[in-house]
Amino acid sequence: MKRLLLRLEPLIWLLFGQGILIGTILLTGWLLVVGIAAPLGIVPAQALSFERASMLASHWIGRLTLLALIALPLWKGAHHMRHTLIDFGGAGRDALVAPLLYLLATVGSVLAVVAVVRI
Amino acid sequence: MARAAHPDAMKPKRPGGTRTAPPEMPPQFPFSGRYAAYTLFDITGILYLLVGLVALRAVWALGSGEAAWREILSQFANPLYVAFHALTLISVVFVGVRFFRLFPKAQPLRIGPVKPPPQSVIMGLLYVVWIGVAGAMAAILAGGVF
Repeated sequence: MKRLLLRLEPLIWLLFGQGILIGTILLTGWLLVVGIAAPLGIVPAQALSFERASMLASHWIGRLTLLALIALPLWKGAHHMRHTLIDFGGAGRDALVAPLLYLLATVGSVLAVVAVVRI
Repeated sequence: MARAAHPDAMKPKRPGGTRTAPPEMPPQFPFSGRYAAYTLFDITGILYLLVGLVALRAVWALGSGEAAWREILSQFANPLYVAFHALTLISVVFVGVRFFRLFPKAQPLRIGPVKPPPQSVIMGLLYVVWIGVAGAMAAILAGGVF
């Protein structure tokens, strides 16, 4: 498993790095509106109506944006959580924890593809 | 033809004669001095992972029909969700500011004959893209555009 993780390290690092760069850029607008402004009533309810949300999300740019917004933060999160656990003394359990975290990010990414396709 | 080496290929079969001190975490770890920002940067991973899963749930609901979409929006109005999203937004801004400050320093001194632009220009461009994309996305989602 350690060998496999080392072989996959360039790919994991690519996804992790893009999770920081692209994930951060995309999450800012999403969190501002969908996570905070809409629930607090700052944004009109029609803005996130089902028809409008479906229209925006079903465009290919919308699908790609949502895919990146979901999948890339998962990889940033998985890789950073792995290293946080190592730093806090969990190096001995890395052989178990790292595959589980990356498996979660992989499954989440696959489900993200399915989610944006079925809109 | 070269092939990938075993990761432990250079590891000695028996411990060498040279005594080495066991590795120790610095006394400042985890929350003193410069380690505070380092540790917080790592810990934001938990929020990124969770917000990715929450966003997946929202997009899945959108694909499941109007009732599911309305349900997820009503759940997002729960104060706990709003607090989570607010905390995650703070984390995202923290990660962005820290990463965009580091990014220009990690550039090569030259790429072939080409020198990269000054660090301040790279950092400025990153902020322009960040604010521009986030602003455009917020305007579109909020109904200000389209």
